[in-house]
Amino acid sequence: MNLKSTFGILAAAVLTSTSAFAIEPGEVAPAFTLKNLEGKEVSLSDYAGKTVVLEWINFDCPFVQKHYQSGNMPGLQEKYTGKEVVWLSIQSGQEGNDNFPVADVLEDKAESAGSKATAILRDPGGEVGKAYGAKTTPHMFVINEDGKIAYAGGIDDKGDTKVESISTATNYVSAALDSLAGGKEVEVMKAAPYGCGVKY
Amino acid sequence: MMKMTIFGATAVGVGLAVGGVKSGHAEADLISAGTGYQPEQPVQLALRLKLDKGWHSYWLNPGDSGMPVSIEWSLPDGWAAGPLLYPVPERFSTSGAVGFGYADEVVMPVFLTPGPDATGQVVVSAKVDWLTCDDAACVPGSAELKLELEEGVGKPTSEADEIDEAFEGVPQPLAGAQMTVASGEDDLVLGITLPDSVNGEGAELIAATPNVADVSKKVILGPSNDGWKVTLPKHEYLEADPKELDVLLIGGELKKPLMLSWKAEK
Repeated sequence: MNLKSTFGILAAAVLTSTSAFAIEPGEVAPAFTLKNLEGKEVSLSDYAGKTVVLEWINFDCPFVQKHYQSGNMPGLQEKYTGKEVVWLSIQSGQEGNDNFPVADVLEDKAESAGSKATAILRDPGGEVGKAYGAKTTPHMFVINEDGKIAYAGGIDDKGDTKVESISTATNYVSAALDSLAGGKEVEVMKAAPYGCGVKY
Repeated sequence: MMKMTIFGATAVGVGLAVGGVKSGHAEADLISAGTGYQPEQPVQLALRLKLDKGWHSYWLNPGDSGMPVSIEWSLPDGWAAGPLLYPVPERFSTSGAVGFGYADEVVMPVFLTPGPDATGQVVVSAKVDWLTCDDAACVPGSAELKLELEEGVGKPTSEADEIDEAFEGVPQPLAGAQMTVASGEDDLVLGITLPDSVNGEGAELIAATPNVADVSKKVILGPSNDGWKVTLPKHEYLEADPKELDVLLIGGELKKPLMLSWKAEK
């Protein structure tokens, strides 16, 4: 019992100190359980055997707004959830902070942004964000059917807030999802994320 | 002489920006050191951003998040714009993430070079996009800025000193300075040599190229040992070996900030 509790403290300390580093492609995606906007628990393990996209969000961030106002992100969500892909949008933050909206407010923001995600999850305390090393909004992770990270990084290669740049951007998330669906190797497995910092 | 007077009289406001444009959490304007221009002689201009208290804009390497300033020029035929030059940034830390940028006010100099046939009163304009963030949020800003310039030597403007200072403060390449970069598994090893007349001891080294090196820890040069060998952890999202790297050296025994550049051999 004593040993177990010591181990628990150690594990927690390690989790905090590694917060700066993102998970590498090929690694097992860290398990998590978070509440959705209805307060129901959603676990990554609920979707074992499926391809899962994790998308870090903050609807007040201009980089996130670029991908929603243009219809880019909802379009991808609609397209791939229609192909059995699970799309989880996660907001990390500290409960009580202005930039970490309560469930009702987040639901309104997601609705006006036109989100078509499978679920929107809140990560109070930011432990899931830190476990994945989510640095920016957006910051994208694609998890393959074996539960391993297939892609980590930016949604595309155009790190600006201009809607016009989407049409000429290389979208790494859709490329990874298409490769996985076609049984091919994911060509670009990581690329620098861009956006607003996640406000842990 | 008569002609000059008339010309001067019609040129009220020349060399001055139409006025600052407030957008997001900054006010932007385009300023010039002088009211005039001459064919093929570079003209000193600058983009000035006045930032709201608590908000910052970003350097070339914004750090873990953020976005550098971008500028698109609309110039008369034959005119060319140099790159927007970035002064030495400040280091920010927001919930554990590192950022580099500017608070309060930043003056970013730029050279415009009129073409050989440039003539008459001209308007140069620039579409500028930037991002401002504070500890809690980020808001983009955008402005179309215009500036009039007259043909001839012109007069210094009230912003001339500010622009001079900004040009002085921009990190510059240094003749005789060299940098090599060797790529290991997790680290980059930089070999730096400076001319004998320049002492880099105590200078801080910051990667100016985004997403190549990890910038979370401060790197300070020690005493020279036939130059310096500096080990930088690779940026966690650096996929292949880097193709280029610019680094800023600032402070310590250095009299001026330096920018060192390296490119991989093809």
